[in-house]
Amino acid sequence: MCGIAGILKPNRPAEALGADIRGMLSRIAHRGPDGYGTLVDNGLAMGTVRLAILDPAGGAQPFGDASGRYWLCYNGEIYNYRELRATLEARGFSFRTTCDTEVVLAAWIAWGPDCLTRFNGGFAFALYDAETGDLFLARDRFGKRPLYYAIRGDTVLFASEMKAFLAVPGFSFEQDPDQLSSILAQWTPLPEQSGFFGIKSLAMGEYLSVKDGTLATRTYDALRFDIGPKVESEEEALEAIRARLSRSVELRLRSDVEVGVYLSGGVDSAIVAALARDFASKPLSTFSVEFEDAEFDESAEQRLVAEHLGTSHHAERIRHVDIANATPEAVFHAEVPAFRSAFVPMYLLSQRTKAEGIKVILSGEGADEAFLGYDLFKETLLRAAWRELPDEIRGPRLARLYPHLSHYGPEDSAAVTGLYAQFSEEKMPGLFSHELRFQNGQFSARLMKDKGDPFRAISELVANAPGYERLSPVEKAQWLEYKTLLPGYLLSTQGERMSLAHGVENRCPFLDPEVFALATSVNLKFDDGFVEKRLLREAFRGRVPDAITDKRKFPYRAPDAAAFAAEKPDYLDLVLSADELSKLPFLEPKFASRLANKVLTKPAAEISTKENQTFLYLISIALLDRAFVRREGLSASVLPPLDKAVDLTARRAEVNLPREASAR
Amino acid sequence: MSRIRDFIEEQFLIEFDETFPESSDLFKEGVMDSFGYIQLIRFLEKEYGIKFSEKEMTGGVMVSLTQIEAAVAEKVSQRGTASA
Repeated sequence: MCGIAGILKPNRPAEALGADIRGMLSRIAHRGPDGYGTLVDNGLAMGTVRLAILDPAGGAQPFGDASGRYWLCYNGEIYNYRELRATLEARGFSFRTTCDTEVVLAAWIAWGPDCLTRFNGGFAFALYDAETGDLFLARDRFGKRPLYYAIRGDTVLFASEMKAFLAVPGFSFEQDPDQLSSILAQWTPLPEQSGFFGIKSLAMGEYLSVKDGTLATRTYDALRFDIGPKVESEEEALEAIRARLSRSVELRLRSDVEVGVYLSGGVDSAIVAALARDFASKPLSTFSVEFEDAEFDESAEQRLVAEHLGTSHHAERIRHVDIANATPEAVFHAEVPAFRSAFVPMYLLSQRTKAEGIKVILSGEGADEAFLGYDLFKETLLRAAWRELPDEIRGPRLARLYPHLSHYGPEDSAAVTGLYAQFSEEKMPGLFSHELRFQNGQFSARLMKDKGDPFRAISELVANAPGYERLSPVEKAQWLEYKTLLPGYLLSTQGERMSLAHGVENRCPFLDPEVFALATSVNLKFDDGFVEKRLLREAFRGRVPDAITDKRKFPYRAPDAAAFAAEKPDYLDLVLSADELSKLPFLEPKFASRLANKVLTKPAAEISTKENQTFLYLISIALLDRAFVRREGLSASVLPPLDKAVDLTARRAEVNLPREASAR
Repeated sequence: MSRIRDFIEEQFLIEFDETFPESSDLFKEGVMDSFGYIQLIRFLEKEYGIKFSEKEMTGGVMVSLTQIEAAVAEKVSQRGTASA
């Protein structure tokens, strides 16, 4: 795993560009502590910090082809690189390393942007054509690896993490109230949002080209629900799930270093661990977050799985004080506002993982989205069918859906029935499935002084998505999850940003394109969807303990406001002091202050989900402002050892081949 | 009736004042959502010993503090009449 960065600025001297890129890379050195490399040409510099996983000696970057025309800065892993390499060799390409970086470069040379659909993996890369001066940036289809870009005057910047821009002379960050209000309303940034003015995230499944100073983006992979294989029977479905997932895990174990597994206590990561063990030559290392607060703790289930599979298990026990202490650092790594605190323990877990000597882990992310694991999908099914259902069916369906929520008990069934009646028709075009959730978002958006229409951006996103209107209500719900919560929080804030903060790479077998395609073929075909992930569970019954197979989904959560209320860290001043709050002029100070005072003084039981969520947004927005906008408390950044420095301007001078910087 | 005002201010994190009068539509202002509304109805029923029908709850007539107080006052007086 790596981090990449680059700057295009015509007429800036090569030495200055070299200093810029080293500064940018030093800010993301945590992503690649094993070495850094740079390339400088007229008006361009780019580079990589590298975590060596495959062919540690051969894969130094920027990686150039034999002719010296194409140069690649690459972050991620293409798991099917051996198969692609064989295809390319058959076409006459020869290879001098055993790493996937060289395969990516050759694939680009062979197929151009069409190579992207052949890649099975998580990646983001920058490819520079030294002959034409063109630059291409590309990102994987599920948004596993990050890539941000910004345009400032005649300068184009890009980087794996926005914090690289802190090192660019004259660059300033400013939080964008419109984006914040959208983020608050729907839990996470949308595919292009960053939360900051003038910084965009390259959306998943897109590439961006910079030719002659002009930027253009194209989608190479739109999420399709209609291209899965034909599956005729449940038996066939179960067999296909076992086969594809096993293959996906096998591909993701390709590594020259040991691969571990994160165990959540749920069925998805247990299946991943069971499959990983099939291929392991020595006991598998597993890692889990445990909580001192029993409400959140799943250690019994985690240990059950670890014992069942005979893994070498490591548990990181999290107390309130750990969350309070690590939040500022974790928010700095996340870079975007967060709606819950559960990412903070993952920051601490990856620190532990690294300390145990593991650089690569597998996890269960993506299973709930593919195989319908969330209540959201059941809610959508029930609400969509509501008007057709007789009363005697509605009650039992509701009871199946919400057995754990006391306010959905019999005494309130009339109220919930009324609520469902209200939400049985689409009010927000294309967003039916998420309308209930968005109510909490409306509450959080009250943090903004001028919240405008917080759902404008997401409404436009679905309105402009080709084929979206033809999806079923549940597929629309999945599509939204694949574009919001999964990439915008689970894979990023709670996933790779926390792992890479400590140089640990995470891989997700459920994000294999073939696994996803299969899921679209079998979902709701052999059942009514009211037992979540039923096919997945049945496919692996017997491989993991029954108690895990039959366990209802227990959302991974951590103590939210309660941790801060208990520990009262100094930085709470950012949201408790009127002076400090006034530094965030886009916030509604009365509401922010009432909220902060309530959640920090009342017993946890009296704080609602949406109040907890809104408080986490508030504290994370305040911490982001302190670090990125005001640049207070930033730690010093240090570059890893130098791997490689390529200076094309010197080569051009040698061969008397000047190329006008303005050609870009 | 100040108990209703207190409950709403506490529950929904607002302050009624000249910029946010008691006649404000709590739904339109984004202060109250359906879950919050159910909580409010439960509070009123318990606090005042009254009962709202599904029709009364979803009729869209209890959207501001002023209207809620009026509806509760009417319910309470009906209850008084009924038991007299």
